[in-house]
Amino acid sequence: MADDGGWLGRFVDRLPDQGWFKFLSTHVVVPFWWWREPKPKLPGGPRMAVQPGENLQRMMNLIMPLKDKTPVGRATIAMALGQNLDTLYSGLDNVGTIHFARFIIVENNLCMISTYDGDFSSYVRDFIVSIGSVFDAILVHIEGGDAVVPTKEHVEAFVDWVHDRDLFQWPDFATDLFALQDEAMGVPADRPPHEIASLSRAAVLQMKANPNLSLGSGFRSYPGFSAAQIRSKFGEGW
Amino acid sequence: MIDETTSETLDLSNIQGNILKGYRSDLQYVRHIALEVKDRAAARSFLARSVAGKDSGVPAITRATLWADPGPEICFNIGITFEGMRALGLPSAMLESFPTEFVEGMAKRSLKIGDFGESAAVNWAAPFDGSNRLHIIATVYAKDRARLGRVQADIARAFNVLGERDGWARSDVNVLGPAYANDGSPDNRVFFGYADSITQPRFKVPQYPDPPTTQPIAPYGTVLLGYETPLEGVRFRVPMNDELGKDGTFNSFRILAQDVQAFEAYLDEAAGLLMQLEKDQHRQVLPADGEKDIPHVKDRFGAIREFVAAQICGRWRNGTPVDKWPYAPLPNPTPEQLHDFDYDGDSPCPAGAHIRRASPRDGQIVQRAANYARQLVRRGMPYGPDFDPAKPDKAERGLLGSFIGASIGAQFEAVMCDWINLGLHNPDITRFNDPMIGANATETSVFDLRLHDGKNCRLRGFPRFVRTRGGAYAFLPSINAIEYLAKLEG
Ligand code: HEM
Repeated sequence: MADDGGWLGRFVDRLPDQGWFKFLSTHVVVPFWWWREPKPKLPGGPRMAVQPGENLQRMMNLIMPLKDKTPVGRATIAMALGQNLDTLYSGLDNVGTIHFARFIIVENNLCMISTYDGDFSSYVRDFIVSIGSVFDAILVHIEGGDAVVPTKEHVEAFVDWVHDRDLFQWPDFATDLFALQDEAMGVPADRPPHEIASLSRAAVLQMKANPNLSLGSGFRSYPGFSAAQIRSKFGEGW
Repeated sequence: MIDETTSETLDLSNIQGNILKGYRSDLQYVRHIALEVKDRAAARSFLARSVAGKDSGVPAITRATLWADPGPEICFNIGITFEGMRALGLPSAMLESFPTEFVEGMAKRSLKIGDFGESAAVNWAAPFDGSNRLHIIATVYAKDRARLGRVQADIARAFNVLGERDGWARSDVNVLGPAYANDGSPDNRVFFGYADSITQPRFKVPQYPDPPTTQPIAPYGTVLLGYETPLEGVRFRVPMNDELGKDGTFNSFRILAQDVQAFEAYLDEAAGLLMQLEKDQHRQVLPADGEKDIPHVKDRFGAIREFVAAQICGRWRNGTPVDKWPYAPLPNPTPEQLHDFDYDGDSPCPAGAHIRRASPRDGQIVQRAANYARQLVRRGMPYGPDFDPAKPDKAERGLLGSFIGASIGAQFEAVMCDWINLGLHNPDITRFNDPMIGANATETSVFDLRLHDGKNCRLRGFPRFVRTRGGAYAFLPSINAIEYLAKLEG
């Protein structure tokens, strides 16, 4: 219909740029659909794949809101990290399955961005075994952090805590979103089949449930090798 | 991690009997019965009577206390799923104290533990098919099968029986065929023809005889909640509350179908390739005349076949560890010989072999803190008809396996995900699955053998030999906890 260049097609194509339409969709249409079919917040982190190679070089985008959202608060967390950085990095090295990890502060959130191999819970658990006490010093400055300190005595809760604050990773194949939503709602996948035309609505509603997210699983310049495989290839031991 | 001087003590009368010891040497038949709680009052009264153990119509829960000879006629233990805890009326604050993986249940954790394709939970067979109606797994062990039926009838008076699975102990002749009749093998054989149930974590229980192993002592928290765990400084959360959760643990119960025909056929194929390698490239798979040292084989082909089977498992079929005896099994390995090895230095045991993957012992691994941190207590019994290689068939047979540990996530799932199916602990095997039990596909499967000439040889193209047919995560409560559940009201 829109392809024939008819007036209706042109009208619909231009809708997203129209102020009145934007207003209508933000304040009426989205809230209406949200009321009709709310979406659960989808869980964070990468999903397990059937192909073992896909379970390597996985991303964690952990977003931790600071308790003190002032420059002093940001300086405090920077200091807590800075004082422990050597211990932190040698601990990460000890875990053995981590490629990269860095800390950034964005909008009063301390973010830990890392690339690791294998099972998420084992990664977080091994991390706690190695440097739990250092992480404890950071967590006291984070909203909700007190509930999981000391981490060594709250491993299960800490794994769930991190999972909850790790950004949802948007599926690499857009239509996989339906299956994830079905799963989260505990209904059989794709039964009845989802209309492809409803994908953009499903996406908008999901963005409402997960306002922060990672777009896809990211780019890899080489196929999935583990950190240890790369170290051993370069003669750096493993 | 290894605390020979631990001040912790165990109250064996509060611990279910199948956790710290197995029963197979006394009782060769097992039945796992799937139960639904339909009538709370009836279920609770059954539990109360089962703990009291004075009622002829209700089997008594077997505890970890040692028994005097002659041992009991039957043993009885229970595991409760998360849905079962709810069905028994556990208060919600206590329900929330259980770890996520247990709350979600095994069927929902499928990708992490390799249950996809044919092994996906949607394809599991009743009664252990991931249903929410599975509340309790009652396990009965007995000397004969008729006894199992009688106990089941008693249980059926209090619960809705959804179904059952039977297993029984086998010797070589049952899993390797009539050629092995009268070879005097013990009855710890499993399909694919191996001796199993050799290794367990080594606990120091003063009342029990010390196991014949020099492996490091495992802290009680490896398998019981409420004690020091193998992860330095880490405590696993004790569910329910500190008192009731203590001495409980978790069981990852698995029904694993084994395609014995495909396994034996692949051994033929691999042996054929290796014979060719010796002929064409003058490589040495086994020492010259090595076939003379391998029992039950007629020729070099047969010997190489056994060699491949040994490398796939990490043990020869009679249990002899490949780490110490790489080219021929010992005729009658002693318990010490079966236990004492640890992959130190340049072990001739392939890094990808089943037992080295499942437990790397003291060998170098990537996750430096994890060597002895993911140990599991294993209780298993074969199910399905015996196998005769002269008349191969596709009947369903396999292993009813219980993988027991204080943390499903830190032990069973971590082993399945990172080690069995990803090989993350050693860069030489990363991205490849366990050759014996992994989620393999013929297009991608890889296994590196270590030949007698010191070099590797890569095998490819083998299918998935073990499929999951069912399972459940169950909590094995302490006796105190069972008593508490029995007294719940409402
Ligand atoms: C049908 C499936 C399976 C078969 C036929 C099988 C067979 C075997 C055999 C023959 C052994 C050597 C005996 C021993 O050391 O006690 C063994 C050991 C072992 N298996 Fe399996 N297994 C199966 C499934 C699994 C699964 C699913 C796991 C993992 C969770 C597992 C973990 C282990 C461990 C930890 C050991 C002891 C390793 C050691 O410390 O040396 N097995 N298995």
